[in-house]
Amino acid sequence: MNIILLLIPISLILLGIGIWAFFWAVNHAQFDDLDTPSLTPLSEESIAEHDTDES
Amino acid sequence: MNAQACFHCGEPNPASAPILARVQGRQHAVCCPGCKAAAEWIETLGLGDYYRLRSEPAQRNEAVADYSAWDRPALGRLHVRTSSADRAEVIVLVDGLRCSACAWLIERAMRGIEGVHDVGVNALARRVSLAFDPGRIKLSALLAALARLGYLPHPLTAEMIDSQRQRESRAALKRLVVAGLGTMQAMMMAVALYAGVFDGIDPSVREFFRWIGFLVATPVVLYSAQPFFRGALREWRVRRLSMDTPVALAIALIYLASMLNVFVGGHEVYFDSVSMFVLFLLLGRHLAMRARHRAGDVVDALSRMQPVLAERRDTAGYTTIAVHELEPGDIVRVGSGTAIPADGELLGPACRVDESLLSGESTPIARASGQALIAGSLVIDGPIELVVRRIGADSVLAGIVRLVTRAASERPKLACLADARAARFVVRVLVATVVTALAWAWFDPSRALPAALAVLVVSCPCAFALAVPSALTRAVAVLAQRGVLVVDADALEALARADRFIFDKTGTLTEPSFDRETITLIRGSLDEALGIAAALEQSNTHPLGLALRRVAASAPMKCAEALRHVAGAGVEGRIDGIQYRLGRDGFALSLTPAAARIHATIDALVLADETGEIAHFPISEQLRPGAATLIRTLAGAGIECEILSGDSAGRVARIAGLLAIGESIAAATPADKLARLSLLRAQGHVIAMVGDGINDAPVLAAADVAIAIGDGSAMAHAASGMLLSTSRLESLLEARHVAGEMLVRLRQNLNWALAYNLSAVPLAALGFVPPWLAAIGMSASSIVVILNSLRIGRRSGSSPNASNAPITLTKAGAREATA
Repeated sequence: MNIILLLIPISLILLGIGIWAFFWAVNHAQFDDLDTPSLTPLSEESIAEHDTDES
Repeated sequence: MNAQACFHCGEPNPASAPILARVQGRQHAVCCPGCKAAAEWIETLGLGDYYRLRSEPAQRNEAVADYSAWDRPALGRLHVRTSSADRAEVIVLVDGLRCSACAWLIERAMRGIEGVHDVGVNALARRVSLAFDPGRIKLSALLAALARLGYLPHPLTAEMIDSQRQRESRAALKRLVVAGLGTMQAMMMAVALYAGVFDGIDPSVREFFRWIGFLVATPVVLYSAQPFFRGALREWRVRRLSMDTPVALAIALIYLASMLNVFVGGHEVYFDSVSMFVLFLLLGRHLAMRARHRAGDVVDALSRMQPVLAERRDTAGYTTIAVHELEPGDIVRVGSGTAIPADGELLGPACRVDESLLSGESTPIARASGQALIAGSLVIDGPIELVVRRIGADSVLAGIVRLVTRAASERPKLACLADARAARFVVRVLVATVVTALAWAWFDPSRALPAALAVLVVSCPCAFALAVPSALTRAVAVLAQRGVLVVDADALEALARADRFIFDKTGTLTEPSFDRETITLIRGSLDEALGIAAALEQSNTHPLGLALRRVAASAPMKCAEALRHVAGAGVEGRIDGIQYRLGRDGFALSLTPAAARIHATIDALVLADETGEIAHFPISEQLRPGAATLIRTLAGAGIECEILSGDSAGRVARIAGLLAIGESIAAATPADKLARLSLLRAQGHVIAMVGDGINDAPVLAAADVAIAIGDGSAMAHAASGMLLSTSRLESLLEARHVAGEMLVRLRQNLNWALAYNLSAVPLAALGFVPPWLAAIGMSASSIVVILNSLRIGRRSGSSPNASNAPITLTKAGAREATA
């Protein structure tokens, strides 16, 4: 049973990392617009291809 | 691409001495040196593939303007956000960003510039965000580079970069997620503790779980619950009791009591209850906020009307400065077709200005010397000079922006009513809590705290708090899916109550159209006439203008300048040096002597130049699909409909006859329409006005609920409470149905919240409800409210639903329309 004394703090640390990552994503505008980015792969197909060609 | 059209922008090339640009090893003819420079620069950047990838020709590249004024520190402070010494950000709205190839081109070209860290292009919003090193490149150089590519840059103010809205929604999202994750963890600990109560638990492990619970609930209370504490503080300062006070009190009390128990090893801890409490409240707030933000970028649109640069008269001529550097008393020059930078008085001869932002009327207004001019209005015939009187926050435009901002952030009336109701409730709850605590302190002091907490939690105004926003938000979301955008949540209530619908005719009930076959051509070619007409109508939002542009879509596009709209008559403008007029025959032919008139048609737009008529465009008018259904269903529901139109009596009567509308008023001016509306309202009717969002804006504003039919740009007009974005008129029926349903659900929610509280509070006060059960009861009551709200818009087979009836009727409507 003593293993939980280790596992729970580890889970909390992972949780903290998760929250930090989420905050980072929010601050970097990842959640500002949830509608348009899903369309970009459709409208920019030829350009995306070109990008990979060149690089 | 043919040789006649410019390789870069697609406009016709000059006949004499073609200008050649070398792109990807071949010579291409271009129309002007600007386009040559743009094309060759794109080529030297190694981005010649742009021409292969693009789907739209580029914007014609005019001579690159001087952007050095943008380097003034005063402007920089306003538009550039400096995050560190070598990193600054600016967001630029660009004209001419037409397809994704443009986005690709801008991204590649700008990234290649020395000193640019990062480039982000949003083709949909036409925005480019640039992160650059201010020490290595100036803002003006970046703007000039964009202009060289052929995209005219308009930097947005830093205020818009991280606007209030964005910050608010980001913070809310973070709070919500922290509360959610914290609640999950706290619940896990709580479950372990409850299991321990029944099955036995090692005291040290129990202690450990309690500390972990304390640890995970702390960020929820100290971070996620901040808005409630701030709200309570604000309420306390203005001595007004509302939702936040008991919420903050409950959160603080539960948390502090639990914390105390953890430290001294007391009985119960309620970290799960407090976290769940915060999570549910935040969820309700979040839903309400999302509904509010959907109101659109109204403020953005308005702020863009005000120019950022002004030409101030100095002793040595004119210098270009930033608008906010202006002082009252300065003399400013404003060119023709540009916006006035500050409120002031006209100096010198009379001029005409377009004050459409104030009046909604695009007819130019004449202003004599010494009369007031308003910032943001457009000078039609300039240049003029004006003395600045009011600047910045004092200007009329700033006042409008403030009004709109407030309207967007204001709580709907329904929500305010619920708040008032909740406030009274809150007072009673607080009294009940104190009475409970005192009574138990008398009988059994050890049970005083749990019982008082139970009262405070079980009676939590959660269900009250969620009752209104959850129903409103659900209704708004359902309608958005069906193509009805609700700008103002109050409009929903008014729509449900409306007992009289007033319709505008053209563009609302009917759709004007032009038929290539019936156009009478007096001289020239059909395509040419259509091209001229479309160019004249290019900025016209009237349904007739839109219809004309549609029929002229295949004709070669021309460019008109000095456009002038005359309300109720037509439009005039100059194309290739020739003055044209398009509109009602009396207006169009006034350029020419009366003898030149050949045809006399009533229902037609006439295109004419100085030498006489060019073409007649007969207007044919069809009922919009669904118009008949709409009117019939409304009449079936006992709602009176009427037409209020500025059109001629004959045509209005014909449409009224077709639709079986009893009352119709024709040839009404906006003033007549307003008078009619106020008369009906004085008689006690609740009026829904359906019209074209832009051209009817003042009339729409006078109705109880204004429903605009139009595109996204109509959103900018705060006058309309609702916007039908689809062309389906039936969606109005669905909107009415959903609005009615919303009111029903809302009342159910409030009644449920009341019933729940009335039954739960006495039990809690008597000590029958332990705090953990109170928290569950509270959550359950909120969930009932949310689930009830989610029923809005679900299509059930039994009820006479808006979705079933119209389908069969639509066919009848279509038949009628074609008859």
